[in-house]
Amino acid sequence: MHRSILRSPSAGLVIVLLALGTLLTLVAGSHVDPVSGQSVNNFLNAHTLIQMATDASTFAIMGVGATLVIISGAIDLSVGAVYALAGVAMAMVLRAAGPMNPVATVGLGLATCLTVAFLCGLANGLMVVGLGVHSFIITLGTMWILRGLAFVASHAESILVPAALTSVAKASLGLGASLSPVPLLAMLAVTAVGAVFLNRTVMGRHVLAIGGNAEASRFSGLRVNRIRLGVFLISAVTAGVAAFLGASFYGSATSSDGTGYELYVIASAVVGGASLAGGKGSALSAMLGALLIVLIRQAIRTLHLDQNYEWIIIGTAMIVAVVVDQKGSQLLARKLTKQTLSS
Amino acid sequence: MAAPAVRFVGITKRFPGVVALSDVGFDVASGSCHAICGENGAGKSTLSSILAGIQTQDAGDLVIDGRPVRFNSPRDALAAGVAMVHQELAFCDNLSVAENLFLGQLPTRRGFLARDTLRAQATELLRSIGAAIDPDRAVETLSIAQQQLVQIAAAVGSGARVIIFDEPTSSLGERESEQLFALLRSLRARGVTVLYITHRMPEIFRLCDSVTVLRDGRHVCTAPAATLDEATLVQRMIGRRLEQYFPEHQRAAPGAEVLRVEGLSSAGKFSEISFALRAGEVVGMAGLVGAGRSEIARALFGLDPTATGSIRVRGERVAIRRPGDAMKHGIGLVPEDRKRQGLVLSMLTRENTTLPILDRFARWTIVQRQKERQVASTHLGQVQVRASYFESPTVTMSGGNQQKVVLAKWLAAASTILILDEPTRGVDVGAKAELHAWIDRMAAEGAAILLISSELPELLNLSRRILVLRAGRLVGELSRDEADQDALLRMMAGIKSA
Repeated sequence: MHRSILRSPSAGLVIVLLALGTLLTLVAGSHVDPVSGQSVNNFLNAHTLIQMATDASTFAIMGVGATLVIISGAIDLSVGAVYALAGVAMAMVLRAAGPMNPVATVGLGLATCLTVAFLCGLANGLMVVGLGVHSFIITLGTMWILRGLAFVASHAESILVPAALTSVAKASLGLGASLSPVPLLAMLAVTAVGAVFLNRTVMGRHVLAIGGNAEASRFSGLRVNRIRLGVFLISAVTAGVAAFLGASFYGSATSSDGTGYELYVIASAVVGGASLAGGKGSALSAMLGALLIVLIRQAIRTLHLDQNYEWIIIGTAMIVAVVVDQKGSQLLARKLTKQTLSS
Repeated sequence: MAAPAVRFVGITKRFPGVVALSDVGFDVASGSCHAICGENGAGKSTLSSILAGIQTQDAGDLVIDGRPVRFNSPRDALAAGVAMVHQELAFCDNLSVAENLFLGQLPTRRGFLARDTLRAQATELLRSIGAAIDPDRAVETLSIAQQQLVQIAAAVGSGARVIIFDEPTSSLGERESEQLFALLRSLRARGVTVLYITHRMPEIFRLCDSVTVLRDGRHVCTAPAATLDEATLVQRMIGRRLEQYFPEHQRAAPGAEVLRVEGLSSAGKFSEISFALRAGEVVGMAGLVGAGRSEIARALFGLDPTATGSIRVRGERVAIRRPGDAMKHGIGLVPEDRKRQGLVLSMLTRENTTLPILDRFARWTIVQRQKERQVASTHLGQVQVRASYFESPTVTMSGGNQQKVVLAKWLAAASTILILDEPTRGVDVGAKAELHAWIDRMAAEGAAILLISSELPELLNLSRRILVLRAGRLVGELSRDEADQDALLRMMAGIKSA
C-alpha cells in the first residue's frame, strides 16, 4: 500500500508542492494583523491560500477536461475561447431575462453556460471526427471563431452579471467574511469526478485505451469516434463550469476573458504527467499541476521578486517539471520491466 | 577458381527461447544467382539480415571475397559491397526518387543542394538498370514494383557487388515479376552476385544457378539447381514426415454449422468467398502473402465497411458493420499484428483482457473491479498467464504471453467463432506448442475456429480441412487426408500437380 502511494504519479507533485510551500512559509516573514493583533505568516494564512486555490480552480477545472482530451491522443486549444463565449452568453441571457428570484437566476445562468459550452464541444468533436483533420488545427480554428463570436455578440463590452451569482460564487460558507471557498470546493469536486470517471468508469477506461492504441481499441469493438467526440464535449463543459464560476466570482464577463487560458490548462495537464502521445494522465495530477503553476506565481509575489520575470520562471519550471517526470517514469518503467522479467 | 563472393562459416544466432541459426556454413559463388529457401522460421531472413549487417551473429564468420568481415550495421555491409532489397521498403516517402537515391551524399554547390547534378546522377543510375522512372517523382507516388527498382538502383549505385533479395515478388504482379527477373539476369551478367530468398519453387528453377536449403535453422544442402527438381526440393525443405499431431476428436463428426459465408467480396481485396464453419472444427486458411486472408478476417469482424455478401451465424443472416456487431454474434478476432491491433501495450494485462466487455462489469457506469478482476484472472488462468503479470503493463511481456492475453480477451468475451490470424507469429517454440494445444482444446469444447497461418505444418497439424486462397479467390479446399505440404504449396502458388 505504501509503495503504491509512493509510486503513484501524483506523489512527486505533492512532494514538490509541500517542499515549495514549506520553503515559502519559512522565508516569507510575517506581519501583525491589525484586527486580531496576532502575528500572521505572509504566505501560510487562510486568505492567501484560498486566493491561490481560487486562481488555480479555473485552470484545474478545465485541466480535468484537457487531461481527458490529451489522454485520448488529441489536444483542445479552444477552451479559453469557450470560457469567454460561455461567460458572455450567460451574462447576455441574464441581462435580457431581467430581474428574477435568485434561484432562477443561478439556474438559468448555469444552464446557459453549460449549454453553450456543450455546443462548442460538439462542434469541436464533430469536426475532429468527421473532417479527419488534426485536433490541433480544428481547435486552433475554433479558438478564434468562438472568441470572435463572443466579441461580436457582446460588442466587446464588459457585461455585468446579477449579484445573485456573485453571492453564490463568493459565499463564505461560514468561514469568515473575507474568505470564499466555493471555487476551491468546485475544483475539488470536479477533480474528484474526473478521477472517478477516468479510473472507475467504462468510458474512462475507453479513453485511456484509444489514447494508448486506437487501432487495437477498434479491434476490441470500441466505438473510437464516439469516444473522441465525448472527450471534446467534456473538455468544453469543464470550460463552461469554469466560466460560470469565473464570471460569477468577478461579477462580469467580456469577450477577452480567459485569453491564453488554454495554454495554462494544457501546461497544468502535462505538468501533471499527461503524455501528449496519449494513453497516460491523471485528473488529480492535473489539479496538482495547476496548483504548482499558481504556487510559483505566488512565490514571485511573496518573495518580492521582480514580477517581470514571472513568465521566464513559469516557462522554465514547466519544462523542468515535465523532464523530471519523464525521466522518473522511464526509470520506473525500466525497474518494473526488470522486476517482472526476473520474477 | 575465384574465391566465393560470400562464405558463411558456422553461423549461429540465438534469440530468447529459440536458436534461429545453428552452425550454418556454405559458399555463394561469385557472379551467381543463389537461392536460399526453406519454410517460414527456417532461418532464411535471419541469415540474410546477418549478411546485410542488420543483425550480428553470435558465433561464426562471414568471408566476403576471401576477406573475413564482421558487420555491426548495414553501413558496414554496404562498405563491404553487400546491399539488401527489403520485403518492406524503407524510404523517405515524401522525398523524390533522386533525393532518396543519394540521401547520404546529396551533391552540393556552395552549400546549396545542386539540383541539376542530383537529377543527372539519378537519371544515369536509373538508366543503368533500365528503369524508366522520373527521378523528380515523390517515392510515395510510385508503385511497389517501381519502389523496388529504386531500391535496386540504390544498391547498384552504392557499388554493391552482392545484393540480397528478400521475397522480392511477394507483392508484385505477374508482369512486374517478369521485369524483375530480366533485371536480375542483367545484374548477374554484370558480375553482381545475387542472393535470392524465396519459397516459390518456379522462381528458383527459372532464375537460380544454385540452391541452399535451410530447415529449423540448420543447413540442409547446397547444390546446383540443375541437379534438383521440385519434389526433391520440397522434401528437403520439409525434411521429416510431419508428425501426426492430429487429435482424435477432429475425426469425429463436427457439430452444427455456426457460420456460413456466401459471396463475400471487397473490391481490390477478395471476391466471391464462400465457406462454412461448424462447431468443434478447426478450418485452416492458406495462401501466399497478399492472397487476401487477413482482409477476409477483417471483413468477417466488421472492419471492412466496403465488403458485400452474406454472413449467416447459426442460420440467421446477420449484418456486421462494426466489430461490436461481430462480437454480439460471438465472433472474436485474434489479429495478425499483435502489437498494433491486438493489445493496448500501455495498459495492464487485466485491462486488456476485459477491454471488449468492460460494460458488463458496470453498475451505474462504474466498473465493479472485483468482478472485473475475477473474470480477467479466470480467463488469463485458462491460457496459463502467470498471476504476477495480471496487474503489470502488457508491454513488459514476451510475444508468446502477449498472444495469450489476446486469446484470453476473446475467451472472456465468450466467443464461439474464433478467427485466428497468424496466432503463433513471432512467438517462441514453447509458447507455440501451448498455443497449439489451446486451439485444439477450444475446438474440442465446441468453438468453431478459422485458422489463418503461413506456417504449413501448423495448418496441416491443426486443421480438419484447409481452404486455399490465391489472389483474392478461394481456389480450393483440401480435406485432412488430401492435404500435404506439397499439394498446399502447389495450390497456393497455382502450379499444376506433377
